[in-house]
Amino acid sequence: MTDDLTFNPTIESLAGWTSPPSSEFLSPQDEARVFWRLRRRLAVSALRHAFSRARLRTTLIIVLSLVLWLGLFWLFVYGFGLVKIGIHDLETRDHMVRAVFGMFFAALMLMLAFSSGIILYGSLFRSRELSFLLTMPARVERVFIHKFQEAVLLSSWGFMLLGSPMLLAYGVVADAPWYYYAMLLPFMVAFVYIPAAVGAVVCLLIVYYLPGGRTHLLIAIAAVLAVVLVWCGWYVLTGPEGHLLTPSWFRELLGRLEFSERRLLPSWWLSSGLLEAARKVWSESVLFLAVLIANALFCRQLAIGTAARIFRPAFSALHGRQASRKRPQAAWIDRGLQGMTFFLPRQVRLMMVKDLRIFRRDPVQWSQFLIFFGLLALYFCNIRGLQYDTYHVGWVNMVSFLNLSVVGLLMSTFTTRFIFPMISLEGRRFWVLDLLPLRRETIIWEKFAFAIGGSLLPCSALILLSDVMLRISPLILAGHQLTCVVLCLGLSGIAVGLGARLPSLHEESPSRIAAGFGGTLSLVLSTLYIVAVVLLTALPSHFYMVAHYGDAARFISQKPALQWWLRFWLIAGTAGSLLLGVLATVVPLRIGFRAFRRLES
Amino acid sequence: MIEFDEVTRKYGRNVAVDRLSLAVRPGELFALLGPNGAGKTTTIKMLAGLLRPDSGTVSVCGRDVAEDTRLATRALGYVPDEAFLYEKLSGREFLEFVAEMHGMDRAAVSAGIARESESFRLTGFLDRLVETYSHGMKQRLIFASAVLHSPAVLVIDEPMVGLDPRSVRMVKDLLVSRAAAGMTVFMSTHTLTVAEEIADRIGILNGGRLHFLGTVSDLQEELSSRDTSLESLFLELTDRSANPTADAPSP
Repeated sequence: MTDDLTFNPTIESLAGWTSPPSSEFLSPQDEARVFWRLRRRLAVSALRHAFSRARLRTTLIIVLSLVLWLGLFWLFVYGFGLVKIGIHDLETRDHMVRAVFGMFFAALMLMLAFSSGIILYGSLFRSRELSFLLTMPARVERVFIHKFQEAVLLSSWGFMLLGSPMLLAYGVVADAPWYYYAMLLPFMVAFVYIPAAVGAVVCLLIVYYLPGGRTHLLIAIAAVLAVVLVWCGWYVLTGPEGHLLTPSWFRELLGRLEFSERRLLPSWWLSSGLLEAARKVWSESVLFLAVLIANALFCRQLAIGTAARIFRPAFSALHGRQASRKRPQAAWIDRGLQGMTFFLPRQVRLMMVKDLRIFRRDPVQWSQFLIFFGLLALYFCNIRGLQYDTYHVGWVNMVSFLNLSVVGLLMSTFTTRFIFPMISLEGRRFWVLDLLPLRRETIIWEKFAFAIGGSLLPCSALILLSDVMLRISPLILAGHQLTCVVLCLGLSGIAVGLGARLPSLHEESPSRIAAGFGGTLSLVLSTLYIVAVVLLTALPSHFYMVAHYGDAARFISQKPALQWWLRFWLIAGTAGSLLLGVLATVVPLRIGFRAFRRLES
Repeated sequence: MIEFDEVTRKYGRNVAVDRLSLAVRPGELFALLGPNGAGKTTTIKMLAGLLRPDSGTVSVCGRDVAEDTRLATRALGYVPDEAFLYEKLSGREFLEFVAEMHGMDRAAVSAGIARESESFRLTGFLDRLVETYSHGMKQRLIFASAVLHSPAVLVIDEPMVGLDPRSVRMVKDLLVSRAAAGMTVFMSTHTLTVAEEIADRIGILNGGRLHFLGTVSDLQEELSSRDTSLESLFLELTDRSANPTADAPSP
């Protein structure tokens, strides 16, 4: 701290003061210390809050993360173990691991650059905190570093969660020396800094030079990136001529992965450095680490220098653009919804149109789901390229049910993220709703109808696409569609019912409402429900299919009791899933109705 | 102390502030009045260093805000219309952060917090998390943070919004006493009576241009010569039909 400041706490001493204090500003080190203290205090406070008031959610997050981490670690140990047993030639094995690491880190680099750019755009140009910090006498560089470090952390925690078990597992299997483990963290941190800094510089330049056209540019970049990623996936997975997972297929795949091993890519430095450390060639490994750290520091300085020069003008330019004068209009989609729901009471239809308008006018709400739906649809469209349909019917059936589970899980995040907070948000507008000739039950029914409409259409369409591409039999296809209906009814019931029972009336942000206790409980129950429904239908269906093809069919044909048992299991499983669907729909809704009626405005 | 020299700021094609020239003297309490979209918030954001003028200069204590932003902001205390607070900090921790950012040493921080928490009646809940504060408590904390480092200039955007009568009285007393002690106060407000009651000089802004600039006695002379009320005069000066650009959007 500077001690030469002449602050006087008495008002009288201000008389006649007409110039700013002549003393020096905080040194960069002191400034950094003040920001770190702020961050530490915020973190401690948030942790204390998490462990005292959101204990269930925090425990769930920790336990699930641990389970995921351990599961991944086991999977990677098993996978690398298989490779070690299966490929005896050290060079080939190295080549394979290098290709896998190279591809993984190259894809990650692209995603980290994009995600840190997006996060920084939000935190540097859209947050109220920045408007506050910019009125403080802090260096722009320090403010930027403060937010940059946050962006690095937020964009890379997934990498740490996924990458650390993989790299640790490789070390265990490859019998790596101690310094392999010691160098893991510096390698990962240095690597993460490079794409994050590139993303930051691109973000700053876009806002500085194109403050008005940044959204279009970002959409264009995202579209190009998506196309590149899809092309890469397509090129890598669908090109090989040989049968899936055969040696020829494998060799051709490795050849196709070589593009990720360009010597100038930081991902190559990372994978090479770690592989050298695992092979006990510490000097080479240290060299790669030094190259990574040097480049990370250079990129960091580049980002800081760019921010020092253009951040304030970019901020001013962005906040000085003309507000959009586009008038919202009744779109065809609203009219379509009104037409499609003609059988519902008018009040319900009006509220559904209102909710649809709010939803579609906030791109942040739906854009991420559009990406997920798009990627799933793309995968389903290209599913034949993976040649599943040429394999055993049991496997095809299993893949179709796995697809159903993935779509169900996506639906559960949709209902938790968007449907669950709706009641809380309506609760904030009770003063409006209570003045309308509207029964409270109508609000719940409307949310339920909106949730079913919003989830059933995409869910059924995706599963239909998956089944058609997998050439599933009409009977199983009909069964999947029925499961879709059961899933959507139950998921909507859980989200709406719990949303009414556990509302967060003081919270304005839908994402925070969804991240609260009620939202977490809704997500957990939804996941359990999906697992239960899919298992109830998938297992008997799988064994039933297996029993009717190949050698198993011949065996089963001689065992009528087993045939009867399999058929009974199939019917009982379907009936059980229907019963579970009814329970998951009715019970939460009843609880929600009761609680919502008692809610005070 | 504060000087706007031919300052213009546009939002696209809309001119929010149009060649504004204005000087506010040390120890003066200046109130900027105007209807919604008149350019008050834009003017204040340029003064706080958040926005840059398209042309002209804004200076505080002789420092160009756009060029010497740190020096200028160091001399400022700023209370925005929608202030930011760290919800997960206590009031004391927030004040400590602001004080340390302004380079105050440990003893000055403690003394400043004790003084301002007393002035703004924050003492009872200073160690509670900000997220538990009511709107009025938050507003008082923001005021305390703005004057904690004893700035030469205090800039306030809509100071009375959401305050109860007791807090309004407190803020009015604060502004008058600080101005009397030499602090320059620049505030924007919708509340005509507040401006009339406490301001030394008043500026009425509409469509980004100053339509009236004078002391309260000038204003009172104007009112008596026209035999009208402040409200009627304000409406007359800010008549939208005469100034179609008045609805320039605020950021």
